[in-house]
Amino acid sequence: MRKTAREALVSYSFCLPAYLIFTVFIFIPILWSFILSFFDYNILTLSAPRFVGLYNYTKLIKDQVFWVSLRNNALYSIVYVPISLILGFIFALLLNDNFPGRNFFRMAIFIPSVVSLVIESIIWMLIFSAHPSGVINRFIRIFGIPPQGWLSDPRLALFSVAIFMIWRSFGYNMLLYLAAMQNIPAELYEVAELDGAKPWQKALHITLPMVKPTTFFLTVTSVIDSFQIFTPIYIMTGGGPGYSTTTVVNYLYQKGFQEFAMGYASAMSYILFIILVILTVIQRKGFRAEQITL
Amino acid sequence: MIHKKMELNKALWLSLRYLVLIVISAFTLLPFIWMLSVSFQPDKGIEAYGFIPKKFTFQNYPTAWNYPRLYDPKVTLGTMFRNSVIVSFFVTLFSLLFDSMAGYALARKRFPGRGFLFWLALTTLMIPFYVTVVPMYLITMKLGLINTLAGLIVPFVSSGFGVFLFRQAFLSIPLELEEAAKVDGASDLFIYWRLMLPLVKPTMATMAIFKILWSWNMFFWPLLVIYDYAKMPLNLGLTIFRGQYVTRWGLLTAGMTIGTLPVLVAFLAFQKWFIRGLTAGALKG
Repeated sequence: MRKTAREALVSYSFCLPAYLIFTVFIFIPILWSFILSFFDYNILTLSAPRFVGLYNYTKLIKDQVFWVSLRNNALYSIVYVPISLILGFIFALLLNDNFPGRNFFRMAIFIPSVVSLVIESIIWMLIFSAHPSGVINRFIRIFGIPPQGWLSDPRLALFSVAIFMIWRSFGYNMLLYLAAMQNIPAELYEVAELDGAKPWQKALHITLPMVKPTTFFLTVTSVIDSFQIFTPIYIMTGGGPGYSTTTVVNYLYQKGFQEFAMGYASAMSYILFIILVILTVIQRKGFRAEQITL
Repeated sequence: MIHKKMELNKALWLSLRYLVLIVISAFTLLPFIWMLSVSFQPDKGIEAYGFIPKKFTFQNYPTAWNYPRLYDPKVTLGTMFRNSVIVSFFVTLFSLLFDSMAGYALARKRFPGRGFLFWLALTTLMIPFYVTVVPMYLITMKLGLINTLAGLIVPFVSSGFGVFLFRQAFLSIPLELEEAAKVDGASDLFIYWRLMLPLVKPTMATMAIFKILWSWNMFFWPLLVIYDYAKMPLNLGLTIFRGQYVTRWGLLTAGMTIGTLPVLVAFLAFQKWFIRGLTAGALKG
């Protein structure tokens, strides 16, 4: 009896530091932000929090900018998610078997995923320069296309950010696809080859169905990431021109940390949370269905 | 004849594949090469920087490194580099320690609430950072950590992902090892520190590279917490730099190259463990 009590005490001590951090910086905040979303609280005015009920939420639903931000997140994810997944899959296919230079190409494609997003955003901001001698503008001149305001034209800006993020992330998708392809039994391909299947047929009828769980995982995590994009927007466009690239987190930053409307920002963060929870539930459901069919 | 045609087809396929791969690698690498190239060109004040420097200079590097800020002549990009190193070092050190301690207890000990604690660690993975960020900021303020380097370190010295990874690693070690040590009267601390930790070195390497990259690259939190130039990490400093010296691309890209190098070196050195961790992270999903 003594011994088990001692054992428990030792175990709790080992867990203490990590769970103290979780409590202070995750568990208390997630509850606090829910409570805060029913208050009017501005830390600049130094006034005490004032209970306002559902006011923050009703105000949010009527807030045009919030809806524009949500739409921007959705638009961005419609461009970003499929293209970065398809590119990831294609280059995993091309780099799956062993040939000279394979590892170099894998690394070359993956490197943008590890370098600082801030630094990469600045590089691409310079590359996207609207000046006729900007890198991209000089490149498209070869094809006779006139210079574009990649980040200053409201019709192009969000699209440009999406191109940049595809450049950055498809290497990560490729690596996860490569890991999934390791687990496909070689016999499947051998049988197909005996039947005279062409490489593209094998890719379409064997590889693609076999990596379906990875596709599902990547789709959901990429959509979730798309709804949390902040840094490239903050650096490259500042949410503009107008509100054409403002996303939910950018708007949250503006409300919460530039205007210090903490209650309003909390309500916004909870709506974001609900959206993300719904996406996660879809992922879980899909995963379970996947396991049953396999 | 048919055989020859197949050979030809194969060679054609292979060269086509190389062509596609070279084009895509150019696409992924050229932005970095361009940054490197601009960093060796004298400032022109206009935006006509090509890939191949017409005039070559090393001067941008020392100038960027020593560039004094407008508001505080003592603060340079070098100061911010040092801040980033300090933050990355302590975040990595403490999270290796705290995550492995919790992971050890969850994997090897029997005690009431163990399942619940493990569930809690997994729950932290489902809570998005931006949903907790407002109260996190308020708590950090109450703790007096706003505008300090500790404010960038303390909230991140432990993660559910780390606890999860270490628990899995400790689970795979045979129980007999520990029991033999216990019979010999070894203390819990000794068993954890001298016996068990050395056995999970691969997981330590994986966590280390993740934490180094993550803390070196973090941006949103420093943007909220730090407003003194003297305490800014490099990432944040570079955005300020960009705002103040819009036309001095040579200096800016030199600073960016300095910021990229440590991450690249760390990544190339720990590559194997990094990729291991990536796939482990995906499988848990």
